[in-house]
This record gives sequence, C-alpha cells and structure tokens, in this order.
Amino acid sequence: MCSGRVDPVLILEAFMCGSDGVFIGACLPGECHYADGNFSTMGKVALTQKVLANQGVNPDRLVMRMMSSAEGAKFVEHVTAFQDRIKELGKLGSTEGLQPSELELKLKAAKVALKGKKLRWVVGKYMEFQQQGNLYGEKFTQHEFNRLFDEVAMDECTIQEILLRTQDEPLSVKNLAELMGLSPRRVLRHLVDMRKMGLVVLESDDKKTVTWRAAVSSAEAIESEKTK
Amino acid sequence: MAEELRIGVFVCRCGTNIAGFLDTEDVAKYAKTLPNVVFTRENLFSCSEAGVTDIKNAITENKLNRVVVAACTPLTHEPTFRAACEDAGLNPFLFEFVNIREQCSWVHKALREEATQKAKDLIRMGVARAALLEPRESIVTDVIPSALVIGGGIAGLTAALALANRGFEVKLVEREKKLGGMLRDLHQIYPYEIGARGFISSKIKEVEENPKIEVLTGHSLEKLGGFIGNYQATVGSGEGSAKELKVGVIIVATGASLLVPEGSFSYNGEDVINQLQLEERLKNQAFDAQNIVMIKCVGARVKERLYCSRICCMTAIKDGILIKKQNPDANVHILYRDLMCYGVANEELLRQAKELGVRFVNYSLDSPPVVEDGKVKVQSNVLGRELEIESDLVVLITPLVAREGAAELSKLLKVPLDEYKFFLEAHVKLRPNDFATDGIYICGSAHWPVSTGEAIQQALGAASRASIHLTNKKVKVEPIVSVLFDEEACRGCGLCASLCPYAAIEMVETEKGTKAKMIEVACKGCGVCAASCYKQAIKMIHYSDEQLTAQIRAAFQKKEVESGVQA
Repeated sequence: MCSGRVDPVLILEAFMCGSDGVFIGACLPGECHYADGNFSTMGKVALTQKVLANQGVNPDRLVMRMMSSAEGAKFVEHVTAFQDRIKELGKLGSTEGLQPSELELKLKAAKVALKGKKLRWVVGKYMEFQQQGNLYGEKFTQHEFNRLFDEVAMDECTIQEILLRTQDEPLSVKNLAELMGLSPRRVLRHLVDMRKMGLVVLESDDKKTVTWRAAVSSAEAIESEKTK
Repeated sequence: MAEELRIGVFVCRCGTNIAGFLDTEDVAKYAKTLPNVVFTRENLFSCSEAGVTDIKNAITENKLNRVVVAACTPLTHEPTFRAACEDAGLNPFLFEFVNIREQCSWVHKALREEATQKAKDLIRMGVARAALLEPRESIVTDVIPSALVIGGGIAGLTAALALANRGFEVKLVEREKKLGGMLRDLHQIYPYEIGARGFISSKIKEVEENPKIEVLTGHSLEKLGGFIGNYQATVGSGEGSAKELKVGVIIVATGASLLVPEGSFSYNGEDVINQLQLEERLKNQAFDAQNIVMIKCVGARVKERLYCSRICCMTAIKDGILIKKQNPDANVHILYRDLMCYGVANEELLRQAKELGVRFVNYSLDSPPVVEDGKVKVQSNVLGRELEIESDLVVLITPLVAREGAAELSKLLKVPLDEYKFFLEAHVKLRPNDFATDGIYICGSAHWPVSTGEAIQQALGAASRASIHLTNKKVKVEPIVSVLFDEEACRGCGLCASLCPYAAIEMVETEKGTKAKMIEVACKGCGVCAASCYKQAIKMIHYSDEQLTAQIRAAFQKKEVESGVQA
C-alpha cells in the first residue's frame, strides 16, 4: 500500500481507537514506487500535524519517515526514536492535559475537519501550487504554505468543534469560549461566519442570554450515532 | 451481507523460522476465537505442496469463503496462496496475507511472548480485513505486439535485436544523430581486447538491416499516453516533426554520461585528462606519454556522490595494460582508494597488469593526491609516507553519472529515479529489469553504471521480460484499482485527476455533469485519489476505507476481546 493511500481520516481513526502515536513509513523522496504518492503524503502529514496541534494534541505523536526497503538499520533507528518519544509523551491526552471526553470531542472535530472539502483541497493542491503555481501563476513557498495550513487548520477545527459542542445544547459565546479556551471575540467571529453559512442558528431561551445551536449535525456525528 | 462469513486461518510454522521464535500453536488457538473464523490450522510449511493441498481441501470441506494465511511476505508467496484459493473455487481476492515472519518472528527473536502476542494482533487485524474483502476479476487488455526502445547504445541495440529476432516490431529512438552510444568513443572493451568501434559498428549494421526495426535517430520521447499493452508515444526531433508510435511495451536504455572533472586536480584536457580522452588518444594512436598517473575515484565515493561507478577500475586497469604492452618502458601508476575487480576475468586482468609492471598506490580520501607541474604527490597508505611520482600525463578516473534529461524522461514515463537520477527498478533483487509500472523495462547504465557485458545481459533480460506480454498478446492487470463508486456524490472538481501520478483519471462530461472517470488498466492502485476526495466518492478496491478502518479498529481491540467485552 502506497503511503499516499493514508487518508488523514485514518490517522485520526487510529488516535480515536486509543493509539498513542502513529508512524507512517514511506519511500525516499523521488524514489516512490508509485511515482510521487509519498509527496502527497508529506502534505497530508504536515497538515494533520497542524490539526493535531490546534486541537491540543502534541504533533510529535504523528511521524512520517522516509526510507528505502534496503535500509533496515535506518528503519530500526526511526522506530526506536519514535517509540522513545511516545513513551516520553505517555498515554494520549496525559501530557496534553486533556480529559478523555474532551480528548474524544477534540479528535472528533479534527477528524471531520480532515474529511471535509477545505482541508482536502488545500493539501491536494499543495504540490501543484508549489511547483506550477496557482491559476495566476503565483507560486507558494514552504513558508506561505505553513501559514496557510495553520490558518485553515485552525478555522476548520474550530468550526467543527463548535458544531459538535452545540448540537445537543445551545451555548452562549461565553460558554463556548471557556470550553474551547479561545477568546470570546474569536468565537463570535466564527459564529457569525457560521451563521452566514447556515451552520448555526441563534436561539434565546430567556430574553437576556443569546445562545447558539448547530443547525446541521456534522457527518461524523451521524456516523458515530450509527455505530453506537 | 447476506452470505455467512466462513473464515479459515492458516498459521505457518515456516520450519523454525516462525515457530522457533513464537508459539504458533497458541496463535492458531487464538485465531479460532476471532469473529467469523470457523477453521484454523497450523502448517509446517504453508507454501509447500502439502501445505497448499491442505488449504485447498480445507476450503472445500469447510466451505470457507475467506482465507487468511499468516506466514511470510506477499512478495514471495501471495501468488501461491491466491492460486490455491482459485483452484479450490474461491475468488483469489478473498485471500488475506498476514506477515508474521519478516514483520514478527524474525525481528523479535529474543522476545517470544511479545512476538506471540504481536502475531495474534496481526492476525486479528487480518481477519477483520478479510471479512470485508470483495471478489474481483482480473482486468484483461490487448497488447500491441510492438516495442519502443529508448536509447541506441549497446543496451538499446541488443534489446531491439532480441525482440526483432523474435518477430516483434521495434521502434528504436535515439536522441543523437548516430546510433552506438558511448561505445563509439571507446577504444577497447575489457576483459578481452575487443575493439569497441568494430563491435558496435557490426551491431548497428545488424539493427539497420533488420526489417522489423525502425530506427529513429535524432528523435526523443516528447509525450506518452496509454498504459501497458497500449502506449501512444509521441517522438520528435525538436524541429516540429512529431511522430506518434503505438507500442505495447517500452524499454529504457538511455545509458549514462562520464563526469567531466571540471575544476579538480588541474584538469585541462591536455596533460590532465579524463578516461574518455585517454580512450580517444589510444584509439587514434595519438598516445605518446611516458609517465602516466591515473587517479581513481575522482568525484566518486565523495560526499556529493556516494556511489561507486564500478566499471572505472577495470577500464583503468585495461588501459594500463594496453599502455604497457604498447610501450613496456612506460611508467604507469594507478592511485586508488579501493579496487573493484569482481569476477574471474577481471581478477585475471588485475594480475596481468601487476605482472606487466603497472604500479598500484593506495591513498585515502582525507589525504588526496596533489597534481603539480610534472609530478604527482601522494600519501601512500601502504608505505606510510609521501611519494612523488614523475608524470607527463595525469588521467582522472571519474564515475558515470545520469544522463541529462533523465528527470524529464522519468516524468514522461512516470517511473522513479534514485537520488543520483539513475532509473530505479521495481525491486533490486526480485524484479531487477522491471519498473514498478507494468510494461516498462530498464537495462544498461541508465539504471546504474555497467560494463558492456553487463549491459548486454541486462538488455537481453529486459527484452525477455518485455516479450512475455508481447507473446501472450493479452495482459492481466491487477484489479486493485480505484473506482468511482458513488457517481452521484462526485462533484467533478478534478482534484483526483490532478493528483493521479499515472494520468489514470479523466474528467468527462455526463448527463449528470462533470464526473471523474477511472481508466482501470492505467491505475496502479496507489490510492492517492481515494485519500483526497472530499466527497468520499472514490473507493480504493482491496484497500477501502472500510477495510483499513476495520484493521485499525481491530489493532486496538485486544483488551476488549480478551476480557470478553464486546467491541
């Protein structure tokens, strides 16, 4: 199986199943058995690391290492280093200070975000934009991509997390900000955007507090309902 | 699923290779407790005739509809076990291979208990995937009985002749104006004194006179479409006259170039020359030097080029012998770091060179020789002191490097290169003449520096591999491909098509709008498209999201299963 087959959703699946780390082995750059599948993996892994970091999970828990099938010693070296690092980090959530229920919600939001259109486009166009440039011939540098990855990862994860948190009970901006550890201003900005997209609706139980409720349940929420 | 799942698990002892380091009996017993497993068996050697017969009988007797073999690697025995399933009337794609040898027993030799546990984990994952496997039929396609050979050096000429002599049409494309490649510039070929020019001329004549071979000199590949059995290759001369060739297979024989040691050891092409210039002087009988110093590994086995070019040692030794034979009074010193004289004939040449008085001086990379006017200073490792050698000609022995244009060609062909831009074969041991892409083959120095004899050997090998498909006229392609299984969901965005490394996805207009269309035979099953589609409309057959998710979930189910809690 080509490392290019590794869907970021599968990586999140492993974390959600209780894996404390994920190691992806791939061919050497330029020596991919599937022409350039490993390049697409590099982008996917970089983005997934951003998403993990954004969700409060140490990105060191996801590692991609490249080697040829003739480099047994290198493989051992990489795996040993990975194992040592994961041992150091301990059980998923422990060094991150995330309670199991909170961790589950954070990972769930990450998983849906990685399944969605925006993140997949950004990472899918990664190579093309780096090599040939976009529609206007503008090429992106590694630095610019890093920033882009940071931004979209943050936006998408936040949107999904708000959806997950408000699907059962409506919450105020203040509640959400506290739960998510974000500034009320940022939460509000997202909520306003999300309202325009039809993702959340305003609700008001009494006349004083304004609360927000998810207007759509994320695809992931439906899926987990089914498997329960 | 309507059909009741009946999984059979076969645990191979592999003599002592597996059973020596983990408890196969315990593993087999455990496998029996896994969901849908109705039969387990431990075999001494699953791949032996007895083992295979056992699997076949078990399938029939127990009405197994999924087979899991826990043994070695798919690379060696997947075909064996798939065939066993097929013989017993079971679709071969309902077979799942679990590796408990390379990935378990061999690497955990000192940890019997842990290795046993890991084998159980791996089998549990395999069984989970097996439950979701789907039957597949091989994809069969016609093969155009003609070959494209790229490169008209000794390797390309040999491959073209080999195929033409078997009755196949061959298109031979050479970038230069003349056929012959590097041998045109050489004097004599080692290990026997064979004139390079005469040898290559007779090959060229044979090719040019062969009615089955169409020679296109001054042409190179500009575009390639299609897939095994049915390639459309556009070749052009760069002057606008492009030609489209329809071929079934492609052989890459583009050779290599000699590194020009610009800037090192006072290289000037006059009294400090490279090996090709020496060959030229010898060939033109324009050689009159008295004190010759050859310095080996110039630009090879150094930081920026770690590899050994292999053939330069012998070329230098051969040239040393020729010089000594021509003028026994000449002083020939060969400064070397290591000597690469593999094979009986080559060892013999080294002995002969020493007998004739060619002197060998061992130096190391950290104190390289210094070329000065009329002399070379070198720190001899054997004597432990500096030698000053008189010289009127210094020959710098440089390695072969990848041809300019290798990167472009590799992109056109969609085949990989290694870090030094040499072409990379499918597997160094098991498939040395093939690329991972079916229908494209590699031979000669385009792959790695080789001698003439080796180039011929490889060319014959590549031609032989290529002729399998040409002879069969049909080719079976692994049906492990991606499919658009949810056409409704596809938005026609084209992300998959832009990411496909094999141009195996086209965007087509349908009644329902733009949709992705997979070209099954061109798909190599990397799965990049499936991992990128945001509508999850693409399914990677045999490695589907469901199958991989089931495997991942099974990997972490251990505790629940053992404590009897349902997953």
